[in-house]
Amino acid sequence: MPIFFILGIPFALALSALLIKNRKVLGLLNCLGYLAVLSFSVVLLKQIVLSAGTRSYPGFIYLDTLSVFFILVTSIVALAVALYSIGYLEKDIEEGRISERKARIYYLLFNLFCCSMLVVPAVNNLGILWVAIEMTTLISAFLVGFYNTKKSVEAAWKYIIICSVGIIFALLGTILFSYAFSISGLSKSLNWSDIAPVAHILDKDILKIAFIFILVGYGTKAGLAPMHTWLPDAHSQAPAPISALLSGVLLKMAIYAILRFGIITIKGVGFAYFSNLMILLGVVSLVISSGFILVQKDLKRLLAYSSIEHIGIIAIGFGLGTPLAVAGAALHVFNHAVAKSLMFFGAGNIVRVYKKHNLNAIRGVIKALPFTGIAVLIGVFVLTGFPPFSLFVSEMMIIISAFTNGAYLTGALLLLFLAVVFGGFIYHFGKMLFGNLPKGMVRVDEPLSTKIAFIFLFFPICALGIALLFVNKDLLWVAQRLLPR
Amino acid sequence: MKEIILFGILVSTYFMVIAKRMPALIRSFGYQSFFLFLATFAIAWGEDQPELYIICGLLFIIKVSLIPYLLYRITNKIKAGQDLGLIINSQLSLFCALGFTYLAWIFSARLFSSLNQSLVSMPAVAFFMVLTGLFLMVSRITALAQVVGLLVMENGLFLLASTVSGGMPFFVEIAIFFDVFVSVVIMGFFVYRINKLFTHIDVGKLSNLKG
Repeated sequence: MPIFFILGIPFALALSALLIKNRKVLGLLNCLGYLAVLSFSVVLLKQIVLSAGTRSYPGFIYLDTLSVFFILVTSIVALAVALYSIGYLEKDIEEGRISERKARIYYLLFNLFCCSMLVVPAVNNLGILWVAIEMTTLISAFLVGFYNTKKSVEAAWKYIIICSVGIIFALLGTILFSYAFSISGLSKSLNWSDIAPVAHILDKDILKIAFIFILVGYGTKAGLAPMHTWLPDAHSQAPAPISALLSGVLLKMAIYAILRFGIITIKGVGFAYFSNLMILLGVVSLVISSGFILVQKDLKRLLAYSSIEHIGIIAIGFGLGTPLAVAGAALHVFNHAVAKSLMFFGAGNIVRVYKKHNLNAIRGVIKALPFTGIAVLIGVFVLTGFPPFSLFVSEMMIIISAFTNGAYLTGALLLLFLAVVFGGFIYHFGKMLFGNLPKGMVRVDEPLSTKIAFIFLFFPICALGIALLFVNKDLLWVAQRLLPR
Repeated sequence: MKEIILFGILVSTYFMVIAKRMPALIRSFGYQSFFLFLATFAIAWGEDQPELYIICGLLFIIKVSLIPYLLYRITNKIKAGQDLGLIINSQLSLFCALGFTYLAWIFSARLFSSLNQSLVSMPAVAFFMVLTGLFLMVSRITALAQVVGLLVMENGLFLLASTVSGGMPFFVEIAIFFDVFVSVVIMGFFVYRINKLFTHIDVGKLSNLKG
């Protein structure tokens, strides 16, 4: 039952944005709404994991551990974004960048965006999954072009066109999957719960080709290189809270879709095929993004390329496919969502005060914005996988399983490029955070809602990192349920 | 009968490839959708499925009437967008399209080897449409032409779905129609915005964001 609340509340909030005129009430309502969504998704996770089963309701909805996990990640980031948005919009209106009416449009789009992203992991039908993912593109295109400047409209256009083309290939893949299913002599269906149990009798050649299309299609949306070109533009031009949602959750939804089809492919044609493709794309993403991170001049683009890097790590983790690696990858999905939201929030505050994105022009953030500065400093260490934060744990799990499984080259490349990215991050952020304030800058205080959002995000990062040291065994137990081998 | 309809789709797609101006492109897209409608109608007639008739109706309303109408409207409002801006000229484009036809045939003959020879032509045309749509998107520089290219790809997928897997489940088909319509409206909206901000819709010149 909680799933109906999880899907219903964002939709109701979207409607309320049309009715309620007062922006402050709306902001508060959103926070409460997403707090409720988060608590329902925790309840749901508990139900599904403890009963160790799946739950399908007649019609569209099908839930298992994998889908509930992605719902949880979405709702955490959505709550943080709802909190952060209050202060962000307040400042935007003060500075005259947007009008009161536009702030309400923001809430409408934000809620519809969240709603469509929560639908993605909950649906059973693979065709509806496609429609839901395309819906996320269409809605978020408005959010990317929200400020209606030349740059943001350009980014929105590239985003909508590249992702739409990509996703057409995903539909092609979906059709081929359904063809493979229909020629196997069973009844016509696109439901995952119908296809997955009989995946082993499906035509191998068609599955192989179909999975390539799926990987290209949803991989575009996930930001896997070399289909990532829309990502830095969209992430850098969107308002900061939306960048957090795009990077933290939207990319993961595409990964979720790839995994759903991946499970069918694994059962149908064997693990090696899936594994090789995922690891290949993962490594390519890692290599390309680390290069761009080193030479980057724009703060938000830097974070966007780091998203590509982390998506690459996640793809490698799922591609390795041992329980340890899958647990690591799933954990990495969570960690990256939280850490990257934190960094985008920080970047949003910095850009607001300095009025520029250029890394070379921003100096002395810790003096100008003490709270944000320290948060970003910790965020940098979290994001680059420093112990004791939880990203370190998840990256270690992936690297260890690469070496214990004989994937030495993958493991070595992973280590090498993680080191490169670490260097790049420390170099860029070290210059930015420390150093002298530019002339005429004064110390600024952040709004309260922003601080709460930061503290809320810190909690999962720090607490999880420590808690994970004790629950490793349970985690593997859950991971074995995520991807069948 | 089926062959004539498929031939119609093929020819209207060739027309799109050689079109130099927006109205011609939209008109050919209308023809293509109309032939698609006929193909679906023929399938519905043959299999006597009431659901397919509804899909036929939707196809006619959305793809044959509404979307071309919307595209015409946008083209008329933004006068800058009349010329397509061909990166590859029309003769060369036609040769490319012929090449795609051959590739699509080979690909679908290999992939659908279990189907008999006469049935392979339908997925072949479908793959041809997907390839040509992609080609149109890459080789035309105006934003509107890219939207049309996307629609051509989508038409191709519709044909593929209705032939090889006996159509998608009914509600999925409806959802996809809705989705396509919404995406055209939204892209149209962005074309307006681009035109307003940049005073052109030349996508090749959108190069503010790099690195």
